[in-house]
Amino acid sequence: MKYLPSRRAFIAVGAASVLALAACGGGDDDASSSGGSSAAPAASKLIVIITPSPDNVFFKAEQDAAAAQAKSLGYETLVLSHDDDPTKQSQQFDTAISRKAAAIILDNAGADASVTAIQRAKDANIPTFLIDREINKTGVAVAQIVSNNAQGAGLGGQEFAKLMGNKGEYAELLGKPTDTNAGVRSKGYHGILDQYPDLKMVAQQSANWDQAEALQKTQTILQAHPNIKGIIAGNDTMALGAYAAVQAAKKDIIVVGFDGSPDVVSSIQKKAIKATVLQPASKIAQMAVDQADAYIKAGGKTDQPEKQSIDCVLVNADNADTVKDFAVAGS
Amino acid sequence: MAEMLEAHNISKNYGGVRALKDVTFTAYRGQVNVLVGENGAGKSTLMKILSGSEQPTSGEIRLDGEPVQLGSPRAAQERGIGIIHQELSLFPNMSIAENLFAGREMRKGSTFVDAGGQRRRAREVLKRLGQDRIDPDTLVGDLPIGQQQLVEIGRALLEDVRVLIMDEPTSALSNHEVDVLFEVMADLRQQDVTVIYISHKLDEFRRIGDWVTVFRDGSLVAHESMSKTDTGWIVRQMVGRDPDSLYVRNSSPVGDVLLDVRGLTVPGTVKVDDVSLTVSAGEVVGIYGLMGAGRTELVETLMGMRQAGAGEVSVRGKREPKGTVQARMAAGLALVPEDRQRDGLVQTMSVRENILLATLARMTRSGLLNGAAEQRTAKTKVSELAIKIPGLGALVTALSGGNQQKVVLARALLTEPVVLLLDEPTRGIDVGAKSQIAGLMAELAAQGFGVLFISSELAEVMAMADRVLVMARGRITAEFTAENVTEEALVAASASESVLEGHS
Amino acid sequence: MTDTHVAAPAPTASAPQPEERGNTALARAALLLLRGRTLVVLVVLIIIFSSISSEYLTQSNLILMTKHVAINAILAIGVTFVILTGGIDLSVGSIAGLSSMVAGGLLFKGLNFPGGTVFFSVAVVILIGIVVGALVGAVNGLLITRFRVAPFIATLGMLYVARGAAQLHSNGGTYPDLGGTEARGNTGFGFIGVDSILGIPVAVWIMVVVAAVAIVVTTKTPFGKHIFAVGGNERAAVLSGIRVNRVKIAVYVISGACAALAGLLLTSELGAAYPDTATTYELNAIAAAVLGGTALAGGRGTIIGTVMGAFVIGFLSDGLVLVGVSTFWQSVVKGAVIIFAVITEQAQQRLQSSLTRRTA
Repeated sequence: MKYLPSRRAFIAVGAASVLALAACGGGDDDASSSGGSSAAPAASKLIVIITPSPDNVFFKAEQDAAAAQAKSLGYETLVLSHDDDPTKQSQQFDTAISRKAAAIILDNAGADASVTAIQRAKDANIPTFLIDREINKTGVAVAQIVSNNAQGAGLGGQEFAKLMGNKGEYAELLGKPTDTNAGVRSKGYHGILDQYPDLKMVAQQSANWDQAEALQKTQTILQAHPNIKGIIAGNDTMALGAYAAVQAAKKDIIVVGFDGSPDVVSSIQKKAIKATVLQPASKIAQMAVDQADAYIKAGGKTDQPEKQSIDCVLVNADNADTVKDFAVAGS
Repeated sequence: MAEMLEAHNISKNYGGVRALKDVTFTAYRGQVNVLVGENGAGKSTLMKILSGSEQPTSGEIRLDGEPVQLGSPRAAQERGIGIIHQELSLFPNMSIAENLFAGREMRKGSTFVDAGGQRRRAREVLKRLGQDRIDPDTLVGDLPIGQQQLVEIGRALLEDVRVLIMDEPTSALSNHEVDVLFEVMADLRQQDVTVIYISHKLDEFRRIGDWVTVFRDGSLVAHESMSKTDTGWIVRQMVGRDPDSLYVRNSSPVGDVLLDVRGLTVPGTVKVDDVSLTVSAGEVVGIYGLMGAGRTELVETLMGMRQAGAGEVSVRGKREPKGTVQARMAAGLALVPEDRQRDGLVQTMSVRENILLATLARMTRSGLLNGAAEQRTAKTKVSELAIKIPGLGALVTALSGGNQQKVVLARALLTEPVVLLLDEPTRGIDVGAKSQIAGLMAELAAQGFGVLFISSELAEVMAMADRVLVMARGRITAEFTAENVTEEALVAASASESVLEGHS
Repeated sequence: MTDTHVAAPAPTASAPQPEERGNTALARAALLLLRGRTLVVLVVLIIIFSSISSEYLTQSNLILMTKHVAINAILAIGVTFVILTGGIDLSVGSIAGLSSMVAGGLLFKGLNFPGGTVFFSVAVVILIGIVVGALVGAVNGLLITRFRVAPFIATLGMLYVARGAAQLHSNGGTYPDLGGTEARGNTGFGFIGVDSILGIPVAVWIMVVVAAVAIVVTTKTPFGKHIFAVGGNERAAVLSGIRVNRVKIAVYVISGACAALAGLLLTSELGAAYPDTATTYELNAIAAAVLGGTALAGGRGTIIGTVMGAFVIGFLSDGLVLVGVSTFWQSVVKGAVIIFAVITEQAQQRLQSSLTRRTA
């Protein structure tokens, strides 16, 4: 053997720590607690915030808003990302339980797959406040605060129909087929669009919420259907991908998205993408933290219903200038 | 003398080529029936037919006088015909016991493997093979090749065999292991088992065989009781010419020292311990020794494939301290390895690519390979070494063993070495090719090369070497000249633990 | 044993029967068909899809599909170098993502120095992106040669490390606008991904150049032969004086650089860099190589085969989208085609060796 085992071990440890670093990048700024004395043994002041990957600015806004609100209320925070993997989410719940968190704010990794983890936290007397996505069971989480995707999709559909002049060919880009919101939004769009007999959907493809995939699929769809006048996408990243394809094809096509991400908002300001539906992500996250705070202070009681639905807001050229971090001024 | 297994008028065609031409062969019950012949003579094809893995194009097989159909190896096994292939078919990652019972595990109930029972039976089999010191839990991959071969034989012994076919089982065995195998064979003969034994080693099979059958070019050319034959007769039947011309003795004048090795030591399970030697221009030096004596490790270290713990290597009077393959090659060494398939050939490449592999950088014009130069160089070497090939572009695996060996030799020669290291250059190749390789070695010495070769065959090393060094346990234990070497002395020295003092 | 290779038969006894000759001719035809199977599959795909949709076989759609193919083809060419040595590179998708983020960051926010922010021209940014990919590839190579980590494990680790690094680069965010400004002197990133020359997208020209260079390197240089030798029999390569470790490091560097280039093309076309760029693209690249006849065991394969494999995958995916097949069926069909290709590869090997035996 030419190489000492210790050198190999060093590399292994090095690689592992780099991996670990990459995995909890989001939690870095919160790791240093505001003061050692605040770590009281019984009543913990820790709020654990678990969301999908902050790659998507939407979830990043959610994380940031929740963490900021929690800190302003005097809590420590631990921000984690489950990357839409229920197993990883379950492990993160174990972490929260073992650290005796005061509450968990969760944008969950699956409507069914998340139930047992939330139940486990409940059994350990840790309340969970769901944001953005619902689960298929009530009585487990304290609150389920979600934006009204159906209402929002209705808004998007109406705006799209208006922009199209209630007629012409269009294509739809669906989200990840396994994600409930993909279905809810598509249904919401069609609830409006199908009322207009002259609006004809000529292609419907999933681009899995992904920008590059949306670009390539849109290019191919435009090949097959050169007369397309509009594209309605299940979220903003796909809308951006679709718009890149439209630009490359040097066509004038109406693109509408969903989420209200800053990139799309600025695109709307430039008269490129026509509209999006803003989900009040920051507002929902703040509400969840506020309710968690009230719940803790009241000794485990809440006066809010479990299911709370927050309306979405349409963003178009008229109000794009007032949008900041998933919030429209004055809403 | 009862006929046990008979092949009647067997022919076998591969496409348009007739590998067996109307062969009628008889193996006698309770006897050792030896098959000899050059590679390609048809022995292995006949054995594949008799063991069920190939079907004859025409002809009939009779077992105990009854015509039988051997449609698959399994069908042959069920009739008590077992075969031990030359290439090992063992699982190196499994223990001896597990290998012996692979595919027919002993059961405890209907579900579980009876590991204890297997171990017990394995120990019995190992004892019968004279290997009672080996633990049946040893991984087969950790055994030397010779012992692996014995495990393979053990597999066949476990079956209730009536006919046992052995295809060159001793090619990797040390003399002691061969003795053990022959005892086992004598034992089997006692138990009325019919043995069909294929071998290239004339001195060996004459000790054990009762009958000898000679194949040449797909036909059976001679069948005789062993006692009525002698070595010369057998070789004449095989090659169709006189055996005296088999080995060519080098007789060129000895020049300057080309390779000077001092105190070379390599640590490891098979070690090289303080070896010093010289090879001069025009000299053919043989290294004789048993498997595991450190011979291969010695030449691999000389070639830079292993790192030496201590010692100096000088080529043409210049010390070569780096010890990498590139540096040793540049200094003027070239190695033709023992295991062609494992170390010598790139099986996925053509004959031409294999010949040129070490010297491609010289065949370029402004960075790109010059196809014409490649073709020319390869062609020259092919004709120089009389390599028989279907074409330069043919896959190297399409060649016979002897021609594959010449391809490796051609590559080594193209690096323009001054000393050639040849590790078992004639292993696994037929008599005719052996003779050609021996002739090449003498010719190279005459051209001023130094030649250092390793051999396990007494006859070969005695006939070809100007000087013989004997290795045992990593050390050089004796040195002989062509004049004073005897078989007895070589065997004694190869088993010796004493070190030749004052050797340089 | 080698007994099956029989010395040239005596002329009297062995004239092949006419029937056998016919069989051999049939077998040769089948072999030719199998050798060119990727092309055959491609032609069949084009026939099927163009009979379903008249848009499929139009000039503009062919150009578009070829442009889509370009990214995967460039990734796959790099991966082919690695596979030919008997290795594997699972990190190419992540490397594409990382170089995309590095280039995106340089264009969008420049490089911060104590003295102020510096912006580089597009050419320099592209060069830096490729160098980053090559360096990550070099780390792969060093892990595999110096530290003897199995290629599968080393590049699997790098898949995570590089993806994590891409996410860290922007803290998970997207660099949305890579257009650059005149003042910063960094406009024109769209050239490689959006623009065309003579009606053919620049990305396609780049693919052609990369493929041509790769073909020359693999078939016409000593280095290329060394790659095949290392994959065919590493021990024999060592004994032939080939610097095996250098060859291995070089192929991972090539693979990393190709991945980076593919990532940059994708980013240029999209006009935005996001950390998830090219996620799971490594699987498409490996599939293209295998489809094109590259043996995962190493030592066997061609660049042209890999490019053809990328064409099959791309023309198939786009065709399915064009005719409106659902995502789920797209996956099923793609997987089935890959498995079918590997089965025919086996058939080719068998037929080839039996023909060699007959004619030897």
